Amino acid sequence: MSSCNGYDLLLEVNNLAVHYQTSENFLPALNKISFSMNSGDNLGILGESGSGKTTLAMALMGLIDPPHRVYGSVRVAGKELMALAEKEKKKLRWKTIAMVFQNSLDVLNPVMKVGQQIVEPLKEAENLLEREASLEAERLLELVGLEKYWKDAYPHQLSGGMMQRVLLAMAISCRPRLLILDEPTSSLDPVTRKNLFEMIHNLQEKLGFSMLVISHDLSAVQDLTDKMIVLYAGEILEMGLTREITEEPAHTYTRGLINSSVQAFPYKDLWGIPGEAQIGVRGCTFASRCTQVLAICREKKPPLEQVLANRKIACHRGGIVDLLKATDISKSFKLRNTVIPAVKGVTLRVRHGETVALVGRSGSGKSTLAHILAGFLPPDRGEVVFDNRKVKSNWPACKEGGIQLILQDPFSALSHRFTVEDALLEPLHVNKFGSLEERMIRIKTALKDVQLPTDDEFLKRYCSSLSGGQRQRIAIARALVMKPKLLLADEITSMLDVSTQANLLRLLKGLQNSSGFAMVFITHDLQLARKISERIIVLHNGEIVEEGSASYVMEESSCCHARELMEAGFL
Amino acid sequence: MDILRGKKRSSSIFRVVEYFLTFLVIISLNFALPRMMPGEPFLHYSGEVDELVAFYSKEQIQYYHEYYGLDRPLHEQYFSYLKDLAEGDLGFSYYYKENVRTIILRRLPWTMFLVISAMGLSIIAGIILGSYSAWHRGKWQDSVLYTALVVFSEIPAFLVGLALLIWLGAGLGLFPLAGAATHFANYDSIWDKIADMLHHAALPVLTLTLSRTGGIYLLVRNSLGTVLAKDYMLTARAKGLKELRIRYVYALRNALMPLCTRIAIQLGALIGGAILAENVFSYPGIGVLMRSAVVVRDYPLIQGIFLVLAVGVMVANMLADLAYKYIDPRTRPAVIGSREMEEF
Repeated sequence: MSSCNGYDLLLEVNNLAVHYQTSENFLPALNKISFSMNSGDNLGILGESGSGKTTLAMALMGLIDPPHRVYGSVRVAGKELMALAEKEKKKLRWKTIAMVFQNSLDVLNPVMKVGQQIVEPLKEAENLLEREASLEAERLLELVGLEKYWKDAYPHQLSGGMMQRVLLAMAISCRPRLLILDEPTSSLDPVTRKNLFEMIHNLQEKLGFSMLVISHDLSAVQDLTDKMIVLYAGEILEMGLTREITEEPAHTYTRGLINSSVQAFPYKDLWGIPGEAQIGVRGCTFASRCTQVLAICREKKPPLEQVLANRKIACHRGGIVDLLKATDISKSFKLRNTVIPAVKGVTLRVRHGETVALVGRSGSGKSTLAHILAGFLPPDRGEVVFDNRKVKSNWPACKEGGIQLILQDPFSALSHRFTVEDALLEPLHVNKFGSLEERMIRIKTALKDVQLPTDDEFLKRYCSSLSGGQRQRIAIARALVMKPKLLLADEITSMLDVSTQANLLRLLKGLQNSSGFAMVFITHDLQLARKISERIIVLHNGEIVEEGSASYVMEESSCCHARELMEAGFL
Repeated sequence: MDILRGKKRSSSIFRVVEYFLTFLVIISLNFALPRMMPGEPFLHYSGEVDELVAFYSKEQIQYYHEYYGLDRPLHEQYFSYLKDLAEGDLGFSYYYKENVRTIILRRLPWTMFLVISAMGLSIIAGIILGSYSAWHRGKWQDSVLYTALVVFSEIPAFLVGLALLIWLGAGLGLFPLAGAATHFANYDSIWDKIADMLHHAALPVLTLTLSRTGGIYLLVRNSLGTVLAKDYMLTARAKGLKELRIRYVYALRNALMPLCTRIAIQLGALIGGAILAENVFSYPGIGVLMRSAVVVRDYPLIQGIFLVLAVGVMVANMLADLAYKYIDPRTRPAVIGSREMEEF
C-alpha cells in the first residue's frame, strides 16, 4: 500500500466505451461509463448477463484488442492505461491489477500443473529460481486453504471449489493492489460460497488489496462490497452504498433485480423483469422494460445524477417515483361521548410499482387508513398527496391511473342484482369513459387479465351466482378497468380458501409485474405479507410501530410488537 | 479409486487384444493377397525382371511347386507360414535365392531414411507455416499461404516427383537421376560419402516432404486457431506473461497434441508415398524391391515386405497412443488425495 491515509485514487474510469466489431457493424458493449475507486474500496458491479460486466473487466486490464474499439480513459494507480504500449500494459497486469477469472475448466492451461500456473507471473517478474517459485506456490496454496501437494495437480483434477481457490491464489501471487473478481460464486454450492467469502475477507485483511466484484449474484456483491454499481446494457443505472441500495433501490431496474434474487429474501416469491435488454437505443436503455416510462425516456438518455447523499441514478423521473405520500394522518371516531382514535399520526409513502404490506391486528386501524388514503374518508389531520396532487374527496378513484380500492368482502362489494357486465361497466359509465364499444373492449381485457371467461353467457350472469373466488376476481377486474396506478387491497383474500387465495395472489402479482401498478396490501397475515411485499409497515393501535424492507422487518426487527406478531404469524 | 484403476487395467487389456487381432488380420491378408494375384511364380525363375531368359517346362514348374510346398492345400501352407513366422523366419526368396529377412534388412535403411527425414522436415515446415497462418488469421498472409498449400497438397506425390526429376534433375542437372549413391565411387572421407548420399536423397525427400506438409499445416493451423480462442489464452495475457511464453507454453503446446496421433495415422500414407517416390527416383529402398517382387510373384518376399510395413505402421500407432498419454495430462485420472476431493 502506497498511501498513508489509505485514501488515494486507485482506479479512475472516465467515459469508458467499448464497441465490439461484428461482421456488419459496431456493437456498443459499454456506453460512456465513469466511476472511481479509492485504495481500500470494495466495489460491486451488479448486472444481468450481457450487461457488459466482463467487458468492463477486460477493458480495465487493457485486454480488448483491435478491431474492437475502446474509448475514454482508464487511470490505474495514476497511469493512463489507454496511452500505454502493450509492453507497459504487461507490466501493469497482475502486478497492479489482477483478476480472479470466472470459474471454468478452460480458464487454466490444461497441460500445466496448477502450482506452476499460480507462480508463473511472479516467477517472470522477479526472476525466481525453480525452487523459490515452487515454495511460493506452496505458500500461496496454503493461504487459500489448500494442501501444498495440490501444486502438482493438473486443472482437470480439481473440483469446482478447489479450482476457485487456485484461481484466487493465482490472482494474489504478485500482491496486486486491485483484484477483479468475475462471478466469484458461479456454480458453487452455498457452503463453499460462504467459505469463499470468509477466505476472501481474510486475504484482504492480510494483503490489503481493493476489490472490484463483478457478478449477477446479489449475495456476492452484498457480502464482499460496500459500494456498488448497477450496470444495464452497458450503462450505469444506479450507484451508491451496497447496504443502502439493497435496502431501498432507487431505480426500477435495481428493484427488479433484487426482486429476482433468491438471496435478497429467501421466502419471497421471485418475479423476473419482463422483456429483454435492448442495446444501442436512443433513449434510456431500460425504457422498454420500465413500468413508469414517459415519452422523454424513449427520446433522451438520462444522465447519472445525484439523488440522495450517497446515491446516483440515471433516470428522467429521478428513480422510482413516490406515488403516494401521506403525512401525519390522524383520524378518530366519536361514539356517543367517547372519542376513539383509529389512526394516530401516520406518515407513509408508496413508491411506483412496489408492494407495501400494511400489517396489523384487527382493530389496528388498517382499513380506516386505507379509506383515508383512497380519499373515501377525510382525515382529521394531515394530508395525502397522490401523484403530486392533494387527495380530497375521492377524485383519485374517479380517474384513470388513479387509486382503486378492493375490499375484503366480495359478496357485499358487488351488488347481487348486477350482472357481471353491469358490475364491470359501472365505473366506466359513472366516469363517462369512451364509447360503449370501447367500454366493452376494456372490460373484456380486464376479465381476460383475471382469467375469467369473456363470452356473453358469462357477462350476463348475475354476481349472486358466482363463487367467492370468482366474485373477488370480478372485484379486481372492476378495479383494473380504470387502469389504476395504485391498488389498495384490503384483506382481499381473508374470506377465501387457501387454494383460491394462492391463485388470486399470484394473479395479482403477475398483473403488477406486467403493468407496474403499486399495491398497498392490507393484511393481518404476516406470512402472506412477506411472500408478496417489498416493504412491510406494521400498524398497532393506529400507529406505525415498525417499517422497512420485508427482509429487514422479518429478520432484524427489534420492535416487540412486530416480534409478537411474527411469533403469532409463525404458529 | 479402485474402480478407476480396475477400469483402466481392463481397458489396457482390451487394447492389447485389439492390437493382437489387428496383427492376425494383417498376416492373414499378407498370406492371401499374393496368392490371389494371377500369374505363376516360377515363370520368371532366374533372369532379370522384364526380360525372360528361360522358360521352364511343366515338369520343372511342378518340381519347384513341390519343392517350395506350393502344391500342398492352402490351409497347410497357411499354418506352416504362421509357424515359420512364430520362429522369426520370413521365408526364402524364390527369385533372389536368399533369406527374405536378409534382403529386407539390406533395403530397409534406405526407405527409413527417406520416410524419417521427410516426416521430420514436413512436421517442421507444417508447424512453422501453420502457426504463422494461425497468428495471422484473417490477414492476407494467411489467405495466401492457405490457398497455396491446399492447392499444392492436392497434387499427387509422384507427379511432384516427376516434375522435380525433370526440372531439377534432368533439366538443370543439379541432382542425380537415380540411385542412393554414386556407383563405384571412392570417397576421400566419410563426409564425402554422406554428402553424396544426401545429394541422391534430396529429390525423393523433397517430393515426400512437399506432399506431406499440406496436411500438417492444415492441422496445426486449425488446432492453433481453436486453442487461441480458449479462455486460458486470455488468462495468460491477463497475467502479463511474456509473448514467447504465451505462444509456446500456452498456445503451441496445446495445439500440437493432436498432431502426435495424426502423424502416426499419416505414416501409412507416407510409406505409400515413399514406395512411389522410390520408383520414380529408382531409389534402392523397399519400394523398388516390392515392385520387383510383385512382378516376379515372389510370394515370400511380398509377404515379408507387407509384414514389415504393416507392423511398422502398427507400432507407430501404438507409440503415438503411449506418447499421447504422456504429453496430455488429461488422459491421467485424478491421482492425488481423493479424500480431499470430497471436502470441497
